Amino acid sequence: MSATSDTTTVALIGVGGQGILLAAAILAETASAEGLEVKASEVHGMAQRGGSVLSTVRFGPRVFSPVFRRPDYVIATELLEGFRGLDMLGEGGTLVCAATTRILPGSVLRREQPYPDDLAAAAGARGIGLLAVDAEGLAREAGTVRAVNVALMGAASSVFPFAAESWQRGLEKAVPAKIFAVNEKAFSLGRDSVVTPA
Amino acid sequence: MDTPLFLMGNEAIAYGAARAGAGFACAYPGTPSTEIIETAAGLGGIHAQWCVNEKVALETAVGCSRAGVRTLVAMKHVGLNVAADPLLTLTETGVNGGLVIVSSDDPGMNSSQNEQDSRHYARFAKIPMLEPSNSQEAYDFVAEAFAISEEFDTPVLLRSSTKLSHGRGQVVQGERLEPERIEYVKDITKHLMVPQWARLRTRFIIERLQRLRERSESSPLNVLLEGTADFGIISSGVVHQYAREAFPEAWHLKLGLSYPPPYHKIADLYERVSRVFVVEELDPFIEDHVRMLGLPVVGKEAIPADGELEPDVVFAALEPYLATEPPQRRSPVFPPAPRLAEPAPESELPVRPPVLCPGCRHRSVFTALKRHKLAAMGDIGCYMLGADPPLNALDSSLCMGASIGMMAGFNQALGRKAAAAVIGDSTFFHSGITPLISASYNEADGLVMILDNRTTAMTGHQGTPGSGVRPDLTEGPAITIQELCEGIHVRCTTIDAKDYQAIVDGIKTEVATPGLGVIVAQAPCALLVREKNGTVLVDDERCNLCGLCLAIGCPAIAPQADTVSITEVCTGCGLCVEVCKRGALTLSLGEEAS
Repeated sequence: MSATSDTTTVALIGVGGQGILLAAAILAETASAEGLEVKASEVHGMAQRGGSVLSTVRFGPRVFSPVFRRPDYVIATELLEGFRGLDMLGEGGTLVCAATTRILPGSVLRREQPYPDDLAAAAGARGIGLLAVDAEGLAREAGTVRAVNVALMGAASSVFPFAAESWQRGLEKAVPAKIFAVNEKAFSLGRDSVVTPA
Repeated sequence: MDTPLFLMGNEAIAYGAARAGAGFACAYPGTPSTEIIETAAGLGGIHAQWCVNEKVALETAVGCSRAGVRTLVAMKHVGLNVAADPLLTLTETGVNGGLVIVSSDDPGMNSSQNEQDSRHYARFAKIPMLEPSNSQEAYDFVAEAFAISEEFDTPVLLRSSTKLSHGRGQVVQGERLEPERIEYVKDITKHLMVPQWARLRTRFIIERLQRLRERSESSPLNVLLEGTADFGIISSGVVHQYAREAFPEAWHLKLGLSYPPPYHKIADLYERVSRVFVVEELDPFIEDHVRMLGLPVVGKEAIPADGELEPDVVFAALEPYLATEPPQRRSPVFPPAPRLAEPAPESELPVRPPVLCPGCRHRSVFTALKRHKLAAMGDIGCYMLGADPPLNALDSSLCMGASIGMMAGFNQALGRKAAAAVIGDSTFFHSGITPLISASYNEADGLVMILDNRTTAMTGHQGTPGSGVRPDLTEGPAITIQELCEGIHVRCTTIDAKDYQAIVDGIKTEVATPGLGVIVAQAPCALLVREKNGTVLVDDERCNLCGLCLAIGCPAIAPQADTVSITEVCTGCGLCVEVCKRGALTLSLGEEAS
């Protein structure tokens, strides 16, 4: 819960092109289907060209602002971005991360900076709950590696108190018809992959 | 002693620019500012030119300033609206050689469609504003404006109005200054305003404004003239002369550096007198600041808020107040310095800036352009990403369409083809055509690279006049950039950006040919076509990790211990194969991935 209200703040982060906007839309539509007030903020434009991107979704009985500096949850579609998510979260926060997806930024490709390792230890040291997901493997199983975002959302669905029917409605409203089937499968594989919620 | 010159304010500004060692002056004509450039053209040492509009004039002036030459750009008040786009980012980049923007207002609309108070732009852009009150000050303040511009790394607004610009008075000339040209040094953190660097410069200009506030307090341009009466008048510009003539017995606080206003000097006036008036034409600009200090003042309730003033108008407006009780004394409340946002905490994690996409064929232009020692004036769009390492292929970026004007100014100031412009097709249609016309008219030297992907890529692939595509996805007529350039008699070559050797040869030819030339490099946006041509195979025996392929900045190429590897984002565009000199890379067509 945020410092000022009973509003939940979820930050969705990843690399431009990974479909952060779609993942955020699924979450927002689902919260809406639950009868909550929802506000969201999206990043468009330059950052989408392979840069770090952030979308924020906030829901609760009454939501005023679309943004909030400290999220309660971070959903990260890439490992390095997951590490960045740890910096955003406070103690007691939760990170859901596509931990097998690594997209190397230029400075790492050029060997100027090391790519970080051991997300579990870093999360543990800061008292942050971690749900590490092989979203890439699940997406491949569903039929396309491009569905990492939705497979991860499927896994993340386990940490929110929303009914399965609400998630189904969220998917139907957010995912375009021509890519619906593969994403529905990716979501379902993601959801089933989590036995015990983090 | 020489007899003083009897100069119109505009002439005095031009003489003042020549005296200050300005090397370049440009404008689009507009009453009441026009004579500044006409006069400058007749004074030796200043290269004076007309540009096609005020935006292009300011961008051309920015190019000259970057080249290290003191530059003056002139316009009328509504012209400053046209130039507002470059101005509001120029305040972030600052200057190299001093840059002074003269804006001449036209209260009373002697020759204008509106009555607009340009002083608001000083506050809007957080830049200093000087307001001379007669021809002598018009002459003197120009040198001061250049000095402030270079000291504070800021453009300076020199505000005139009709009665100063077109009034005449004696001017005693000062000793001619001989400023050294300031060498241009590439620094994208200062000159290339992408969010990453612009955020830092925004903090710089907020801090700069605080330092300018201190200068305003100490500047001899803001002077308190002692009076014999128990009231004071705050004014600026030619209006100060009206107020002084109407009330010679009053104390006068004359604001020559009127923005940022000297709060303590204003408060000091209140220590000397029991009643203060602000006399100004148009908006209550100074008055608002005085009221913000919590000090009692008579301003626009007495002085007309529209039209021009004269001394007798000022006298008639204020004289009745002198018979009333003076207001109760109050202490000023000075505004605190603004707080800046907490910078993001230092992180050891690798940053992930946006990058030029794998498979973007316009990468070939940057790779080829880098073979020549040209300052590359960039523009707004994805191709700005060519500025990042390892390409490091751009020097500068200001606002939409600014690249061509900056290139023209830079080359004219240096007298050679020292800069190129890099602009996308959609940005070219937005506001790249006018500076190209201006550069052609002024016989500027330069190479303009138009990266034509026939879409507005950065915002999500919207239609352009080059594609004819409309928001509802119907198609209208498409305009060809080649034909457009031919229509304005600019040499133009259209080259397939997939043909790297043709791009290399085309640029080489253009760089060696005097005058202005355009190369249109055509290739569709890689995100739009999503072509997977194949992939690239590495011969580990031949690769010696020389770095040529890495220098093209493709996210699909990663160095290993003594060779490179190709990642799955490779589209098989083949540019790396062409730049490799050891034959270590080969294109493998088809879908099989490495």
